[in-house]
Amino acid sequence: MIELKNISKSFNGQMKVVDDLSMTIEKGEFVVLIGESGCGKTTTMKMINRLIDPTGGKILIDGKDIRHMDPIALRRNIGYVIQKVGLLPHMTVGQNIELIPMLKEWDKQKRKERAEELLNLVGLPPAEYYGRYPNELSGGQQQRVGVARALAINPDIILMDEPFSALDPITREQLQKELLTLQDDLHKTIVFVTHDMDEALKLGDKIAVMKDGKILQYDTPEEILKNPKDEFVEYFVGKDRLWKTPELLYAKDIMSKKVITVSLKRSPAHAIEKMKEKGVNTLIVVDKEAQQVQKPLGVVTRRELSHAVTHDFTMQDLMNTKFETIDESMNMVDVLNFMTEKKLKNIFVIDEQKNLVGIITQSSILNVITEAVTDYEEA
Amino acid sequence: MNFFEFMSYRMGDILRLALQHMQITGMAVLFAIIIGVPTGIAISRNAKTANIVIGIANIFQTLPSLALFGLIIPILGIGIVPSIFVLFLYALLPIIKNTHIGISNVDASVIEAGKGMGMKVSQILRIVELPLALPVIMGGIRISTVINIGTATIAALIGAGGLGDFIFRGISMADNNLILAGAIPTAILALSVDTILGLVEKSITPKGLK
Repeated sequence: MIELKNISKSFNGQMKVVDDLSMTIEKGEFVVLIGESGCGKTTTMKMINRLIDPTGGKILIDGKDIRHMDPIALRRNIGYVIQKVGLLPHMTVGQNIELIPMLKEWDKQKRKERAEELLNLVGLPPAEYYGRYPNELSGGQQQRVGVARALAINPDIILMDEPFSALDPITREQLQKELLTLQDDLHKTIVFVTHDMDEALKLGDKIAVMKDGKILQYDTPEEILKNPKDEFVEYFVGKDRLWKTPELLYAKDIMSKKVITVSLKRSPAHAIEKMKEKGVNTLIVVDKEAQQVQKPLGVVTRRELSHAVTHDFTMQDLMNTKFETIDESMNMVDVLNFMTEKKLKNIFVIDEQKNLVGIITQSSILNVITEAVTDYEEA
Repeated sequence: MNFFEFMSYRMGDILRLALQHMQITGMAVLFAIIIGVPTGIAISRNAKTANIVIGIANIFQTLPSLALFGLIIPILGIGIVPSIFVLFLYALLPIIKNTHIGISNVDASVIEAGKGMGMKVSQILRIVELPLALPVIMGGIRISTVINIGTATIAALIGAGGLGDFIFRGISMADNNLILAGAIPTAILALSVDTILGLVEKSITPKGLK
């Protein structure tokens, strides 16, 4: 467990780069620090392995204050991966991975076995890559070696400073995926710095959004997306972001809360008038129009009414009684699948107490999508 | 007596003086390496000191060698010691400068990775910086040596001996054969040392950098 307690850092007495920052990183947790450049995220990370010493506050690792530890010993127990990889160009891939084991005086056989094990782990067959030089590898392969090197002495904590930012999108995605797979097996405590929200959402168990040396919000990706604490977080997450991850959108997020009811006995003309007045395209047909929540009997839409105005029909004759109710916590993907599967035009959304809270119609879906597209264009 | 007859007639002297010549330059360069490389490493930690030190070394470099040899006489007298000292001063700049450049040009990310992994400053110097800077440092040593082989002819003026002896005697006696007997071996010496050190430079360039 890593605890940062009221950490501050200012360079030459200037403005604070990190300002009274506190956070706790649990063992085995993958935490992403995200923010714009200059927000203090890298500085915060580098204080964990004492590449930078804080000017105020303290950092505890498993309860021990790192100020009292030898920085060399501390760093050797923390893996470190940086954006530019920083492999020693005059040493082979194998020698690079074995560097710290060598300095720790492991015997040669053990070092080599470990290097080969790690090369296999990061998807570089040792027979082919062990003896190669870094300049014979692609950027993605170099960073794989960088990750292998960080794991060499099996540290509990790994710090990663924008490790995939310099890679092309395809390689980046691949390495992100592999890092997650690796993490599933290894359960390291990872502190990962990035400025890329997609990356943060994909990788982090928790995300800390930083600005001006402070953490604005430290939460799970889901919470950050759905309940951004303030405007900056919302802006940083991007209003369109949620739409890229529809599994995180629930029925209650896309339903129309305008539940307008119409009585069973009403005429089509009355219903159309009501639609115009309330600005809706769908009315819910109930036994009697009343304030309290009640059981829906059916639905009428503008299209069904327009053909019937001149006739003596009432809602009872016109309403569509084929409808289903879903729970408000069903996610959007499931909602859409459900509607397609059952060929439904409308679904009623109920809460845990089975009360009607909203309605999802084709036009309400269209509305939310239109809204999202508009937001996206504005951004 | 034509030039070739003269050369073969004086071959013994030529070889003796050439050897002396190499000794003087060799000593001067050796001392310059011993002082220059650590200085170059030390100043690459601090840009301000680097400017000052390189500035001072530059001054020695631009001072005419003839004048410097003359100026050293009242202090160190004449003979081999003051000559080696002056040549040492001339050899210093390229070595300091190249060491400084070599060390400062090591990719910052490699240093950061080393530091972040828990390498000590001395380990970074030994395992990372020096091996990577070595070809550049060797380049400086090569330049120093070649320049010094030429400059060392002037050292004969203050009694250091070497191939300059022939040249100065030739000038005072208006004997072209004598002048050439000093100049041509000096040139051959300089060219062959340059070639040899060039090969050394190449061979010490780490494989991953080629």
